[in-house]
Amino acid sequence: MSALSGTGSSDKVVAAPRARRNLLRRLDAKLSPYLFISPFFLVFGVFGLFPLGYTAYISLTDRNLLAPVSHFIGLHNYALLLHDSYFWNSVENTFAIWILATVPQLLLALVIAHILNTKLHARTFFRMAILLPQVTSLVAVALIFTQLFAHDYGFVNYVFGKFGVHHIYWESGRVSSWVALSVMVMWRWTGYNALIYLAAMQSIPEELYEAAAVDGARRFRQFIHVTVPMLRPTIIFTVIISTIGGLQLFTEPYLFGQSTSGVTGGSNRQYQTIVMYLYEKFLGSTQFKFGYAAAIAWCLVLLIALFGLVNYFLVSRIRSAES
Amino acid sequence: MKSIFKRRSRLVLVVAAVAVLATVSGLSVKGASAAKRSNVTLTIDVFGDFGYHDLYKQYEASHPGITIKEDTEGYPEHHAALAQHLATGAGADDIEAIEVGFIANYTTQSRYFVDLRKYGASKLKKRYPNWKYQQAVAHNKKVIGLGTDVGSLGICYRTDLFKKAGLPTKPAALGKLWGKSWSDFLAVGKRYQKHAPAGTKFIDSGSNLFNAIVAQASPGYYSKSGKVIVKSNPQIKAAWNTTMRAIKLKQDQGLVAFHADWNAGFKNGTFATVTCPAWMMGYIQGQAPNADGKWNIADVPGGGGNWGGSFLTVTKQSQHQKEAAALVKFLTSPKSELYVFKHTGNLPSEVPLLKSKAVRSFRNPYFNNAPVGKIFANSALKLKPQPLGPHQGDFQTASTNAIQRVEQHLQSPKAAWQQFLKDAAAASG
Amino acid sequence: MVAHSQAVPRRRRRSQRAVSRRFDSAGPFTYVFLILVVMVSLFPLYWSLVVASHDNAAVFAYPPKLLPGSNLFHNIHKLFNPDLVSVDFAKALVNSAIVSSVVTVTVVFFSALAGFAFAKLEFRGRKLLFVLVLATLLVPVQLGLIPLYIEMIHFGWLNSIKAVIAPNLVTAFGVFLMRQYIAGGVPNELIAAARVDGCNSWRVFWHVILPAVRPMAAVLGLLTFMNTWNDFLWPLIVLNARNPTVQVAVAGIAAPAYTPDYSLILAGCFISILPLLLVFLLLGRQIVGGIMQGAVKG
Repeated sequence: MSALSGTGSSDKVVAAPRARRNLLRRLDAKLSPYLFISPFFLVFGVFGLFPLGYTAYISLTDRNLLAPVSHFIGLHNYALLLHDSYFWNSVENTFAIWILATVPQLLLALVIAHILNTKLHARTFFRMAILLPQVTSLVAVALIFTQLFAHDYGFVNYVFGKFGVHHIYWESGRVSSWVALSVMVMWRWTGYNALIYLAAMQSIPEELYEAAAVDGARRFRQFIHVTVPMLRPTIIFTVIISTIGGLQLFTEPYLFGQSTSGVTGGSNRQYQTIVMYLYEKFLGSTQFKFGYAAAIAWCLVLLIALFGLVNYFLVSRIRSAES
Repeated sequence: MKSIFKRRSRLVLVVAAVAVLATVSGLSVKGASAAKRSNVTLTIDVFGDFGYHDLYKQYEASHPGITIKEDTEGYPEHHAALAQHLATGAGADDIEAIEVGFIANYTTQSRYFVDLRKYGASKLKKRYPNWKYQQAVAHNKKVIGLGTDVGSLGICYRTDLFKKAGLPTKPAALGKLWGKSWSDFLAVGKRYQKHAPAGTKFIDSGSNLFNAIVAQASPGYYSKSGKVIVKSNPQIKAAWNTTMRAIKLKQDQGLVAFHADWNAGFKNGTFATVTCPAWMMGYIQGQAPNADGKWNIADVPGGGGNWGGSFLTVTKQSQHQKEAAALVKFLTSPKSELYVFKHTGNLPSEVPLLKSKAVRSFRNPYFNNAPVGKIFANSALKLKPQPLGPHQGDFQTASTNAIQRVEQHLQSPKAAWQQFLKDAAAASG
Repeated sequence: MVAHSQAVPRRRRRSQRAVSRRFDSAGPFTYVFLILVVMVSLFPLYWSLVVASHDNAAVFAYPPKLLPGSNLFHNIHKLFNPDLVSVDFAKALVNSAIVSSVVTVTVVFFSALAGFAFAKLEFRGRKLLFVLVLATLLVPVQLGLIPLYIEMIHFGWLNSIKAVIAPNLVTAFGVFLMRQYIAGGVPNELIAAARVDGCNSWRVFWHVILPAVRPMAAVLGLLTFMNTWNDFLWPLIVLNARNPTVQVAVAGIAAPAYTPDYSLILAGCFISILPLLLVFLLLGRQIVGGIMQGAVKG
C-alpha cells in the first residue's frame, strides 16, 4: 500500500493532487500503449505502406521502367502470370528449396540450442561460433559455395571421387541444384535460429526442469516434454519467419548462379526462385517490366500468407504447455 | 546490475546520438570546404577499372576549378542501378559508362542523355570505326555516347597443347589454316582432337563460339530498322549450327565464360583455344601466371569480331553538362586511349590509333611476344557494322542458356533452339 | 502465450538448483558434435582468410589450398591505398559502424517498448494491431525498392546514410521477439509492485522491463547489428561508391573490369568482419551474463 494518506486536516489539500494523479494514471493507462507502439507503425507507415500501395497500383499497369508512358490494364498482368510457365517453375523451385532447407534447419537449430543451454565448457565460444556463417560476407559465401559445388574442380566432388562416387553436375541438375542451395541456406541460417531458440529458452523457468528431473526424465525427455512445448510460440515464430524468408529467397541462388545464369537460375531455370524471376523481369535483364514484376510480387505476398497460415496450423498442433 | 545496464544503455544512446550528429556535421563541413576548393565537381560512374585515375589528375591539373570523382560498381549492378537512377530521375552521375550489351537500351530511350552532337561529336565520327560509332547513335540520329575501347577478337591458343596434338604453333600458320571460315576452324579442331592431350578440348565454350560468330553477322539479332529478326536471320541459325557441330564433334569443353570452372580451366589447361578480346589478355595473365609463354594469339576466323567495349555518356540529370561533355571528349581522345592501352591493355577504339605504329607494334611477352597490337587492330578495322537493339543482352543470355542446356545434356539441339526462340520472343515482347 | 503459472515464488536457495538438469555435464559425444558444427560454420571464413593471405591464383587452385600464406598484410595495405582501389574502404567501415549501431539501438529500444505494450498492457485493438505487425513481414524487400527510392528522392536523402538508417529503425521481427520474451519472462508481480510504488507505464518500462530483457536485448541487438552490417541490395541502390557501406565497398573491390583480384576482395571481406567480431565479444558477455541470471533479474 502506498503512503498516500495524509492527516484529516490536509485531506482537501491531498484530494486535489490525488484526483490529478488519478487522471494522469488513467491517461497513462489509456494512451501509453498506443504511444509505445506508435514508433513501429510510424516507420512502417512512411517506409512500408507507401511502397505497398505504389506497387499494388503499378501491378495494374504495363509500366516499363525506362519508357515514358504506361497504361492502365487492370488485372491483365495477373492473367498473364497464371499462364506463365516460367513463373510456376519458379514457384516449384522456391517451395522445393524451402522444404529441403527449412525443415532440417529448424530441427537442427532446436537440437543445437538445447545442447548449448546446458552446462558446457567454452559455452560462450560455441554460442558465438554458430553465428559465424552470418558474419561471413556474402561475396565470400558465394565464392566458396560455387567452388564447393563446381563440377570439375569442386571440393564436394573431390571428396566424392575419393569414395569412388561419380562426379555430380550440381549446378546443372534440377534436384542437385536444390540440394546444393539448401546446404548453402542451412549453413547460413541454422546458427541464427539456434540463437533465437536459445534466448527464448532463457525464459523457461528452472522449476519445470527440476520437476521433470524429479519425475525421472533425462535430458531427452525433458527436451520433448518441457522445452519444446514451452518454446511453441517461438517455434511458430521461426517457422513463420523462415516461411517468409524462404519464399523470398534471392541472394543465395543469385550468387550461386554466377554471371549469365545469375538471374535466370541456371541454364534451364532449374533453381530460379520467385524473387529471382521478379528481379529478372524488372531490373536484371533488358526487359524492365515493372508492372509485371509488381504483379509477381503481389502473388508472392499471397503465397506467403497462404503458406504461412498452413505452417501455422501445422506447428500449433505441437502439444501446448500445460500449467 | 540493473543500474549498470541502465547506465550502459544510456551511454549507448548518447554515443549513437553523438555519432549521428558527427556524421551530419561532418558531411556539411566537407560540403563547405569542397565548395571553396573547386567550382565544379564532375562525377563519373564506371564499372570495374577503366584505368582513368592518372587521366583524372592530368585533367584536373590542366583545368583548375574542376574536381573529378569516380564511382565504380560491378558490371550487372552498375547497369541495374543506372536503369533505376534514370527511371526515377535522380542519382545518376554526370558521366555514365555504358557497355555495349546495354547501350542499345538507351539509344532507344535517348531522352535521358545529352546529345553529344551539341558538343561536336559529329566531327569526331571519322575517328571511330563505323560499327563502333553507330552503336551509340539513336534512331533519331542523336549521339548519346563516345566509344572508350573495343573488344576486338583474336583467338588465344595454348602452343604447348597444339604442339602435343601435332598442330603448327605459329600465329601466321594458324591464321592461314583457319582464317577464312569457321568451318576451317572446326576442321583444325578435328585434327586437334585426334591426338589431343587427355582431358583437354579444342574450344572452351560453345557460347563463346556462338557469340563470336554472331558478332560478325551483319545484320545480327536486329534489322537496320530495329525489327527483331532472331528467327528469320539465316546468319543466326548458321552460327547455331556451327556451334552444335562443334559440340557434336566433342570439341567443346562446355564451359561458360567467367564461371568458376572456366577460370579453373585456364589454370589447369583444359581447353586449347578461346575467342579472346584484347581485354582478356590481362584476365588470362591473372588466372594463369604459371602459363607464361605458353599462350599465343592468332587471327580470328571470318575476319573481325567484337566482345565488349564501352561508351561514355552524359546524362540529362547532370548539372554541368558542358564540362561533363568536355571531360568525355578528353577521356575518349586518342591520347587518353593510347595511355589507357599502354597501362591496362584496353584496346583503343579510334581508327588513327588502330593504324598507328604505337598500337600496331605492341607485343605482349606473356603471349610469346605475339604482335597483339596488330592482330587486334586489324580485327577491329575489319568488322562490319551490326545494328543493335534494346534486348540484345537478353538474346545473348537466352542463347548462352540454350547452348548450355545442350552441353549439359538437358535438351536436344532442336528443343534447345525452339526454347531459345521462345525466350527471345518473350524478352522482346 | 506461455501458459505456465507464475505464482511459484522465484527465489530459490542455491542448493536446490543443483537438481536442475541444466547442470548435467555434457558427454563427449556432445562435444564432438559441437566441434563438428563449429568447424562447418568456421570453414568458409577460414578458407577466405587463406585466400586473402595468398594471391589471386590461390582461389581456383586444385587441390584447394588449406593453409594461410604470408600475403595478408600486403593485401590489406593495398585495400586502403586510394591509387590501387577506387573505393574508400575506411569511410565504408565508419559508415557501416554508424548505421549498424544506430539501427541496433533503435530496434532494441523500440521493439522492447512495443513488445512491452503488446505483452503487458491492456488496450483496445491489441490483438488486431499485433497481427498487423506480423502482417508487415509479408512484404518482400525487392518489391519496395523503387517506391522507397522515390521517397528518398523526396526527402533529399539520396546518397546519405540517413536513407539506409530510416527504413530500418524498428522491425516487426524485433517486436515479436521482445513481446514473447516479456510475456513469459517478466513476472506480473514485478510490474504490479512497481505500479504500487507509483510508477507510470514509462517508468515501469525503464526500471523493470529494460533490465529484465537483457538476454533477449543482447541477442536481438547482435542479430540486428549483423543483419544491418550485411545488408547489400538497398545500400547498393541508394548510396554510391563515394559514400558506401562496407558491403557496397566490398562489391566495389570485386568490380575490376575483367580481372577480379579475389585475394584482395577476400582481404576486404576479412576486414569488414572485424568490427562484427568486436560486437560479438561485447554482446556475447551480455548473453552469458543474462543466462547466468536466469530469466529473473537480480
